[in-house]
Amino acid sequence: MSPSSRSAEHVRRLQAQAARRERNRRLAMAGAAIGLVVVIVAALVIAKLAGGGSSNDNATPPLHGAPQVVAKVASVPASVLDSVGAGAGVTLPKHFSGVPPLVSGGKPEVLYMGGEFCPYCAATRWGVAVSLSRFGTFSGLGLTSSASNDIFPDTATLTFHGASYSSSYVTFHGYELSDRNHQVLDTPPSADQAVFQKYDAAPYTSTAGTIPFVDLGGRYFLFGSAFDPQILQGLTHLQIADDLAKPSSPVARAVDGEANLMTAAVCQTTGQQPSSVCSSSGVKAAAARLASGG
Amino acid sequence: MAADRRVPAWVPATSLVLCVAGVAVAGYLTYEHYSASTTLSCPSTGTIDCLKVTTSTYSKVFGIPVALLGLLYFIAITPLCLPVAWRSPVNAVHGLRAVASLAGVAFVCYLVWAELFRIDAICLWCTGVHIITVLLFFVVCFGTALLGSPDASDMAVLDIKEPEHGSRP
Repeated sequence: MSPSSRSAEHVRRLQAQAARRERNRRLAMAGAAIGLVVVIVAALVIAKLAGGGSSNDNATPPLHGAPQVVAKVASVPASVLDSVGAGAGVTLPKHFSGVPPLVSGGKPEVLYMGGEFCPYCAATRWGVAVSLSRFGTFSGLGLTSSASNDIFPDTATLTFHGASYSSSYVTFHGYELSDRNHQVLDTPPSADQAVFQKYDAAPYTSTAGTIPFVDLGGRYFLFGSAFDPQILQGLTHLQIADDLAKPSSPVARAVDGEANLMTAAVCQTTGQQPSSVCSSSGVKAAAARLASGG
Repeated sequence: MAADRRVPAWVPATSLVLCVAGVAVAGYLTYEHYSASTTLSCPSTGTIDCLKVTTSTYSKVFGIPVALLGLLYFIAITPLCLPVAWRSPVNAVHGLRAVASLAGVAFVCYLVWAELFRIDAICLWCTGVHIITVLLFFVVCFGTALLGSPDASDMAVLDIKEPEHGSRP
């Protein structure tokens, strides 16, 4: 082999080596970039699963006995609800003609707007939970109490913050706008916020922006508590949950009565389904009271 | 100096398929955004709640719907992922593609953070777009790395000029 041939071969080898080094360097950089993205996404998911840095930071920690209380709320005997009927001392939700149905995911939507500090919201949540438990299942319901420095202080209640609801009949969106320390908690999506701003205002109510606000499928609306929160004063979560199953107790007559009225209103949006609920005597009595308006 | 750029055939094909899929899914989300999300096909099970995500305050950036941004992103990056673009001798084309895919994946990280830590819900359709964007980033990364380096070849030629015409100690 001539010196010039050896030199050309040497050149080719050097070129090939340089090209391989450059290619390996670029592949290593690409691999590092991909690895970095994988690590970031994995870190986000792991942090979420570990519960760190979530929007629950300002929430009251779950109170003792939550599963027991929630189970009792979800299983108030139908016989008790039938016995209570429209209850006593319960304000009727309001109906407005011309309001379009509130629908979400192809199902009627029940929209709740409240705040954990608010004692009137504290009273209302019990009825909402009892009513909607007849159409579906809550998960993640927590316990809290209203603000200590407000009227009806420390009223024991549930919280819809972090809870989810599944039902084949109705969709539920519940938002706690503030925690019991008045710190911002849930941020409703624009669609639900728009409903809140439109209907929790004149001419539908004289106290715009009041909470609790409950939109029952666009058919009926609740502005404020349907009964006096004083009924719940001094009672623990478990005492309230137990009283729900005692038809003669003031708690049952208020909460279960409110629940039946809500159930009757929701039944109007679901085509009276499920029939086992909508045709029950307690709901029928509530429906009759809704119809009479008094 | 511009040189011939060659990548394995799967790179342009895969990136183009991902772009088309991205246009389709982001287009659907954009349509749903402007039709008030009344027909969005997505289960609502608490953790998975497309409506909660697509109607949240995080669904817009500077007043522009995120779904629309996604659609525009995929429409913009699609020409850069055509086979002819992958063969382009113009370095700027490959740089622009790499920067765009990096920007896309960075925005995806922000949106995943918002879903997990601010909205407390996951949108399946959005997750589909996120996966497409991340996969596109992976393909673009490898594709760009495999493009070869004309500059490296040039440097190799320069390196061997000295022994060819002179002497080394």
